[in-house]
Amino acid sequence: MTTKPELNLGSHLVPGLAAVALFVVMAATILSASFPDPQGFAGDASIVASIGYAMFNLEFGDIAGESFLAALIIIAITLDVALDGSIHLARREGDQGGSSLLADGGRELKQSLFEEDDD
Amino acid sequence: MVGIFDFAPAIVLLPFVSFLVALAVGDRLPKGGALAGIAATAGSLLLAAATFLTVAGGRTYDATIYTWAEGIEAVDLTFGILIDPLSAMMLLIVTLIAFLVHVFSLGYMNDEGEVGLPRYYAGLGLFTASMLGFVVADNLLMAFMFFELVGLCSYLLIGFWFREPGPPSAAKKAFLVTRFGDYFFLVGVVAVFATFGTAAFSGSESFPVLAEAALHGEATVNTFGFAPQTWFTIVGLLVLGGVVGKSAQFPLHTWLPDAMEGPTPVSALIHAATMVAAGVYLVARMYGFYALSPDALAIIALIGGFTALFAATMGVVKREIKQVLAYSTISQYGYMMLALGGGGYVAATFHLMTHAFFKALLFLGAGSVIIAMHHNEDMWDMGGLKEKMPVTYYAFLSGSLALAGIFPFSGFWSKDEVLYETLIHGLGGSPVLLAAYAMGLLAVFFTGFYTFRMVFLTFHGEPRTQTASDPHSVRWNVKGPLAVLGVLAATTGLVNMVPVEKLLGIGGIDFLHQWLDMSTESLNAHHYGELIPYSSAYIGGEATTVAIGAGVSLGLALAGAGLAHLLYNVPEPVEHTDRLGGIKTLLYNNYYQDEYQVWLANGVTRPVARVANKFDQGVVDGVVNGVSSVSLFSGSRVRRIQTGVVSNYAVLLTLGLTALLLAFGLLGGWFV
Amino acid sequence: MVPPQYYLLLSAALFCIGLFGILTRRNALLFLMSVELMLNAANINLVAFSNVWGNVTGQTFGLFMMALAAAEVAIGIGIILVLYRNFDDVDVTKATTMRW
Repeated sequence: MTTKPELNLGSHLVPGLAAVALFVVMAATILSASFPDPQGFAGDASIVASIGYAMFNLEFGDIAGESFLAALIIIAITLDVALDGSIHLARREGDQGGSSLLADGGRELKQSLFEEDDD
Repeated sequence: MVGIFDFAPAIVLLPFVSFLVALAVGDRLPKGGALAGIAATAGSLLLAAATFLTVAGGRTYDATIYTWAEGIEAVDLTFGILIDPLSAMMLLIVTLIAFLVHVFSLGYMNDEGEVGLPRYYAGLGLFTASMLGFVVADNLLMAFMFFELVGLCSYLLIGFWFREPGPPSAAKKAFLVTRFGDYFFLVGVVAVFATFGTAAFSGSESFPVLAEAALHGEATVNTFGFAPQTWFTIVGLLVLGGVVGKSAQFPLHTWLPDAMEGPTPVSALIHAATMVAAGVYLVARMYGFYALSPDALAIIALIGGFTALFAATMGVVKREIKQVLAYSTISQYGYMMLALGGGGYVAATFHLMTHAFFKALLFLGAGSVIIAMHHNEDMWDMGGLKEKMPVTYYAFLSGSLALAGIFPFSGFWSKDEVLYETLIHGLGGSPVLLAAYAMGLLAVFFTGFYTFRMVFLTFHGEPRTQTASDPHSVRWNVKGPLAVLGVLAATTGLVNMVPVEKLLGIGGIDFLHQWLDMSTESLNAHHYGELIPYSSAYIGGEATTVAIGAGVSLGLALAGAGLAHLLYNVPEPVEHTDRLGGIKTLLYNNYYQDEYQVWLANGVTRPVARVANKFDQGVVDGVVNGVSSVSLFSGSRVRRIQTGVVSNYAVLLTLGLTALLLAFGLLGGWFV
Repeated sequence: MVPPQYYLLLSAALFCIGLFGILTRRNALLFLMSVELMLNAANINLVAFSNVWGNVTGQTFGLFMMALAAAEVAIGIGIILVLYRNFDDVDVTKATTMRW
């Protein structure tokens, strides 16, 4: 018999009230604030192309934007660092690089399996 | 130009070097460091004499030697040297007496086989050095520091025989009682700094000059909301606290008789030239300041006159020779205070000088007697020493005649001038001075009585004990100082024969007046004469007044001496104190001064201190401890917030953000 | 045109849902998901205001944000791995050694 998911109610939900309270306050703030009318984009303008130009500081886009080349490079580096960082964190202490993932065409594996055999 | 004044610091430093020498290598020197001390004080004496002669040529010297705290937008604290006729004279007296005391100590300490001599001579050296430093001080703070050093040395020397029960207790008493006075002095020093921004004694920027200008409205000083006159009186009385303690004036005189527990040469030094003289010298040094305040002067005069009489009556019944001398010291310093309060600046200085000589003489003479009597000080065990020790007797007699104020010995001239100055200023419309004068005059009688009671009991009649009939002999090192001082005690009065000048009309023999007039403009006797708030009046005429004053005081002194002669100059004197009745007990107990001070300490100060202690422990410490325990407790509670659970931190962050938003919104009116 | 308030309300709601998840859940992986929700709430804001002002800055930033979210997840997963290795659990309330 299958069980269907049940709503897990209990005292552990109490901290969530803080989030609800925050939402109430933010909603009250948002609703009482006034915003200018949205300008929107021209119907024939190519938004994606404009984003692409903006990322490389090129002025060819239909829609105005700021220059993001520096931000792009920084983000690229950040991603690289994050990847390296996550690998560093994930690696077990005492692990030597390459022990679990080898790109030697299976030679080592074969050697360990068929040790007695000659090449 | 290298003059003698460039060597002025050496006068102070030589005894200090002897202190260091005696302290460091005294036990390896012959005579336990005595020779170093004698050489140093002899050097100081020579330098002081040379300085004296230079000052006699009409030159004075005031220089800052060392600024040890440079004030940034505040006062500079300096050591300086001020040599004017007053300090030059005092330098000569102090170095001379210190030198003689050192020589005498050879006989009193070395020949008697005392132990701990390096300590003794180190103490003497430091004592002399600090007193000389005090004498040449050119500002009040430096004076205060050396004043305290003098007090420290007196403690060390009075308690020299620290293995016996009496001396340490007496030393502590001397230290504490004078410290009580010095406490006020310190407050006074701070008050002077706060008021005038300087504590210099001399020069156009000195505090007496500034105070005078402030009274004339020519300068503004910070008087803390009081009228300048009132404030200067308060400051003067604060400083006077130190003077009363050091110069053993009523009510802080109780330490001095107990200080007799110290070695006799130390007593001579304390009483004649150093510690006790320091108080009076301080008032004389800053007389330009006291002269501005009639109230302070009146109080000084009253204290002086009262102390003179009060101490003299106590001296009448004492059995020990040094006790009699102790009370006579208190009484004589009372005269000096009376003179200062009565506007007799020169008279006070004069009496300070003559007293230094004859009291040093009397103490050294008493020391000689004590050596002879194998350290028995009870006069009733003496008698008949006249034939056995003639040098001591005649020197002692000279000192006694001077102390009693018998013509023509030095004490007569100075005491007469003290009383004369007080009398004419009192007649000039100051009843307080007349009252003080009356007490001083009455004290003359008692002085004559107790002095000659002492002389007759000690030297006349038949020997009353075995020791007295076969006294220990004394050597040249005892007799030499006695002879020098005996001559001085007999003759120093001649430097200021004002009565002779007034009566016979011979001008120009008041050398001390002329001497003290030679100082710089703001420090000379003439200037002080203009400052004092008294006017003079005479009975009949000036000469008549002089004659009457001198006659009355001489008559009283002779009457006292004569009574002593009647009662005690017999072969077998007996005690007559029983005739005094109830007063006898009162006098023997020194008017219960010690008892009431002990009661004051035990009955008043101690409960107050206990309450203050409770307050300190309970309230002050309680608040401090309470604050710390509250923060400790709340800290231990508040740290529970740091659960280490990420969710709780997130809750707190969320709540904080919500609260912030709410606060900004409510204050900024977002929700309208 | 849709007024900006609607976008903002949506964004706030999304943010608070993510926050709710963080406050009530104990599983570290669910934490990561909730954080993704909150990041995307911010993205909605960026895009909404890009529309309001009529330029592409906000949208470009939204792209960067996604990249950052990827980086964050990479690091987050690494941390969770270490957490699991040290505490044998991914329950965030177990890891309380950095308290008093």
